Amino acid sequence: MATVQVSEAEKVYILHGIRDDLRVDGRGCEDYRHMEIETDVVSNTDGSAKVTLGHTAVLVGIKADIGKPRPMVPNEGYLEFFVDCSANATPEFEGRGGEELGTELSNTLYKVFNNKHSVDLKGLCISAGEHCWVLYVDVLLLQCDGNLYDAISVAIKAALFNTKIPRVHISADEEGGKEIELSDDPYDCMRLNVENVPCIVTLCKVGHRHVVDATLQEKACSVASLIISVTHKGTVTCTRKVGGGSLDPESIFEMTKAGKRVGKALHAPLMKLLQQEESLGKTRQKVGFLG
Amino acid sequence: MLKSKIFVKKTRAGGVMKIVREHYLRDDIWCGSEVCAECKQESAELQRDACIESNLCTYPHYVIPDTNVVLHQIDVLEDPVIRNVIILQTVLQEVRHRSAPVYKRLKDIIHEKEKHFYTFTNEHHRETFIEREPGESANDRNDRAIRVAAKWYCQHLKTSESDADGLKVVLLTNDQGNKQKAEESGLLVYRCEEYIKSLIGNPELVDRLALSNDDKNEITSSKLLFPEHLPLSKIQAGIKSGSFLQGTFRASRDNYLEATVFIQGDGEESTEILLQGLQNLNRAVYQDVVAVQLLPRDQWVAPSSVVLQDEGAAKDDNEEEEDEEEKALRISAAEAARKPTGKVVGIIKRNWRPFCGMLNASHIKESTRHLFTPADRRIPRIRIETRQASTLAGQRIMVAIDGWPKHSRYPNGHFVRSLGSAGEKDTEQEVLLLEHDVPHQAFSQAVLSFLPEMPWAITPEEMARREDLRSLTVCSVDPPGCTDIDDALHCRELDNGNVEVGVHIADVTHFLRPGNALDKEAANRGTTVYLCGKRIDMVPELLSSNLCSLRSNVERLAFSCIWEMNHKAEILKTRFTKSVINSKASLTYAEAQMRIDDTTMKDDTTNSLRALNKLAKILKRYRIEKGALTLSSLEVRFHMDSETHDPIDLQTKELMETNSMVEEFMLLANISVAQKIYDEFPDCAMLRKHPAPPLSNYDILLKAAKSKDVEIHTDSAKALADSLDMARVEGFPYFNTLLRILATRCMMQAVYFCSGMDTDFHHYGLASPIYTHFTSPIRRYADIIVHRLLAVAIGADKTYPDLMDKQKQSALSNNLNYRHKMSQYAQRASVAFHTQLFFKSRGILNEEGFVLFVRKNAIIVLIPKFGLEGTVFFDTKDKAAPHLVFDEDGPTLKVEQHTFSIFDRVKVTISLDASNIQHQKIRMSLIEPVIAGVSVPAPEVEPLAKKPKLDR
Repeated sequence: MATVQVSEAEKVYILHGIRDDLRVDGRGCEDYRHMEIETDVVSNTDGSAKVTLGHTAVLVGIKADIGKPRPMVPNEGYLEFFVDCSANATPEFEGRGGEELGTELSNTLYKVFNNKHSVDLKGLCISAGEHCWVLYVDVLLLQCDGNLYDAISVAIKAALFNTKIPRVHISADEEGGKEIELSDDPYDCMRLNVENVPCIVTLCKVGHRHVVDATLQEKACSVASLIISVTHKGTVTCTRKVGGGSLDPESIFEMTKAGKRVGKALHAPLMKLLQQEESLGKTRQKVGFLG
Repeated sequence: MLKSKIFVKKTRAGGVMKIVREHYLRDDIWCGSEVCAECKQESAELQRDACIESNLCTYPHYVIPDTNVVLHQIDVLEDPVIRNVIILQTVLQEVRHRSAPVYKRLKDIIHEKEKHFYTFTNEHHRETFIEREPGESANDRNDRAIRVAAKWYCQHLKTSESDADGLKVVLLTNDQGNKQKAEESGLLVYRCEEYIKSLIGNPELVDRLALSNDDKNEITSSKLLFPEHLPLSKIQAGIKSGSFLQGTFRASRDNYLEATVFIQGDGEESTEILLQGLQNLNRAVYQDVVAVQLLPRDQWVAPSSVVLQDEGAAKDDNEEEEDEEEKALRISAAEAARKPTGKVVGIIKRNWRPFCGMLNASHIKESTRHLFTPADRRIPRIRIETRQASTLAGQRIMVAIDGWPKHSRYPNGHFVRSLGSAGEKDTEQEVLLLEHDVPHQAFSQAVLSFLPEMPWAITPEEMARREDLRSLTVCSVDPPGCTDIDDALHCRELDNGNVEVGVHIADVTHFLRPGNALDKEAANRGTTVYLCGKRIDMVPELLSSNLCSLRSNVERLAFSCIWEMNHKAEILKTRFTKSVINSKASLTYAEAQMRIDDTTMKDDTTNSLRALNKLAKILKRYRIEKGALTLSSLEVRFHMDSETHDPIDLQTKELMETNSMVEEFMLLANISVAQKIYDEFPDCAMLRKHPAPPLSNYDILLKAAKSKDVEIHTDSAKALADSLDMARVEGFPYFNTLLRILATRCMMQAVYFCSGMDTDFHHYGLASPIYTHFTSPIRRYADIIVHRLLAVAIGADKTYPDLMDKQKQSALSNNLNYRHKMSQYAQRASVAFHTQLFFKSRGILNEEGFVLFVRKNAIIVLIPKFGLEGTVFFDTKDKAAPHLVFDEDGPTLKVEQHTFSIFDRVKVTISLDASNIQHQKIRMSLIEPVIAGVSVPAPEVEPLAKKPKLDR
């Protein structure tokens, strides 16, 4: 992961600032940096979103394909994650440099999103035990400037919101043979309910306090960080400590409480924004990657 | 401007794929009209004074048909009256998806300059492109695209109009909803029928209008005669699950209530399912691909041997009669004779084409509905609507089927065109070409545009690339009257005592470049078809009779195969080269023979002919020693009257030494080339094979020979050839020829194939391990491919992707095989027709012949003098049948007291049976041996002196 060199004096400056709830870039401890979201950016996916947070940029594309349901849950579809750490983001990812981070990220994402409380997996089932939709979620890191988890989770939620799955009909003939038929209307498609899809909030413990959306410099000063996935109701669905260092139970409790608060506050404007963009329809000016 | 088109597709693996195509819109697509000053087009297709006189549109106008109008009314659009039509890209694409033949016809019309058809690429025009909207079906979207484009034309022509002569655009559609919406947006729109009927002075166009399903005047009562066809999705599911079978529908020629469905199984397993009765045939027409369901075993029937023809007036009302006919079929058959029986449940693909035939005018004078009887008895009669029944009666006409509603006894169709009076030579020729699917239209402008410009001469660059063989004494030997000379020969002594023999073949591939319209047309035609007195060229005449034809005393491009041989005709060296030759003489077989025989002639040409002849004899001996077969079939030649082109006399073809001389060298060239291209391209060489026939094919030959105590061995080609040579019967000189004729019938068809797709290359008849066709590129397309392969192999030409694609090659060889077969049938039919003409002019003749086959109720007699084969039936409909005993082992047939066996000498009287004008045939009746009640007394023959024999 991208690292920056921070001198002792800088560290002290950052630590003291955070202690007084005033960060280097002028934010408070529970403030996010400027965030930009655009959906439907890759035309040959079924749903896509691009999120920039500070200088962190991630692109998420979702492809829906027909697969066989997992034997344990025959009436549910599932999600697959793949995180590509492109060397574009930072030279350290060159070659197989990003592999470890990619695996770690995709494992976490799988834990957070692939369950029936987050996504309506039953709705992805086409015929129990035989066919279901598999959503392949491909995450591409375009630029790393700290706080990847939060940016990725927001992008996934936006991409899921944007996903249009073609509607299929099962036609059964008298012999019991089943045939999947596609509707020939490209507008005839199914949308996912993303209400319960959680967002991840990463909290970094810096000195005695913790901050949300840490920059790389702040990250360098932090002892340990905790990721918390929170739904719009404030339910915590997953917590995980990432990176080295240790946390005492007291601060974990405090950080969870802060995470819940921040996460809840994150959902409402996000949903509003997505709906607003959707309502623009075809008149929306696409920004894409050059804007 | 960039737009993207998005659609989802199901993949073969069962997945779903989202496909995104980039779609560019442009603003430099011109309207194609002469009046338009805005568009910067180079040449305008649509005329300024676009006048089709019509009651509805009295002003000049352009016509825009919608997809269904094009699909159903292509016959009307082809008429020269219809001009200035805008074909939208949307329409063109839809037509292409829905019907390939109609698409091809439409493309041909568009290419025709005089028709002034213009393709407007509205899908790429910035102002006429539309995107599909939510809730809109693909069809609705296309209809809207057509309306938007029509609207655009309206406004465009209005604004660009400086002198305002009121040019308008008329949209033709038969769709009620579309019409209404178009009217709402202020377009001029008519139903196709409305418009065509309004055209002044062209009433015959109305007949060509196809009947559409929603026509108000439904033709028959609402009573359902046939069960409903299943939808395609159900059929597919059924075929998948095995409850239905898919196959090609083959109607019976003799019985209109019976048909078989040929099911292509895996590998060799193919089965046939019998269908019986109108209900079970369920509106399938010959050659349709259908889905059939097997009936339970207890309902299986045996094929009936009854001959039933659908006769009489239109019988929608008297079904009782029909039922009786069907009952007549259900004769109780022995369990063993029963065959799998089924019924048609749905049609997978219709294979309708326009059919030739004649009109049975309705008995009611004023009626406009008539029945049409196709020439092919396997096609049901078709009901058409026409006002010109009285003029059409007695003419051969073409009719296309439009549909077969389930409550109609006959399919509905429409008149396409008249071919001329029945029985006339031109008409009959046209019919036989159409019925054998021989493409015989004049070459289109697009094709002709690829011809070299005249006057043509060999350029110096071309000369430099080729070997200059102009100094050699090359000459050609062909049948008399041949103008497409594709081979020439030379032979000269070399200084080392050996001889150099060259076969020079017309270099057609120099003119026929791969992939252009000329090449595609030639590939489709596949072969030149020779009919009596007419030739249907594969390449335009400029090439076939002039630039490619190796005529004497002109410089021509050639592809040469040159051998160095010793005097024992053993090949020492072979080489191939592109060359330029200058033939010294074009001889006929007879002329060449005369030169060889005339010992006083000592010129170069004659000497080289003599040397060639000598070598050819040795080559032939080698070939026969290896086991090549000499087979025989009688070919006839007509002596034509030079003015009326009626046959005056007919003669079996005579074979001379020079025939075999040319043949021998052609075979040698073909084999040499086959070896070369196969060595070079083992995967994609186009070769020709002749499979060995299965032994059972020889049964009839063996039995026949045995009846004369002659032993025939069929273990190998060599054994067969030898035993045929040995087979002679004292006092019966014709026996050997008859036997060879029989042997020919046992053979398999020789076929073209791609070497990468097959392993068996053997040519049985020629006893050659490998063979191809190289020597007639003017008249066979296979030779063209072989030329190209050989040219690549010797580095004289470039290759191209399709040449190396074995799948494409294989598909091409299938077409060539089909065309070749059809051309042979057409040729035979043409000979048969001319034979009929001949006998019509000669009246009744008594001739001697031989029994060639013995059947259950007839004998087949061959008249050697005319090469004519005919059937003598012993049971006729109106007469009581004589006592017949058929013995299959002989085979012999005992008629009353007399026993017929193969090779018996009989005397018959030949006459023309013109009772059925569509199917005139030669009738033969027995004169000798005299059998009471069977044979007829010898009729008076007109004295021959009355008809002086005219030899040409």
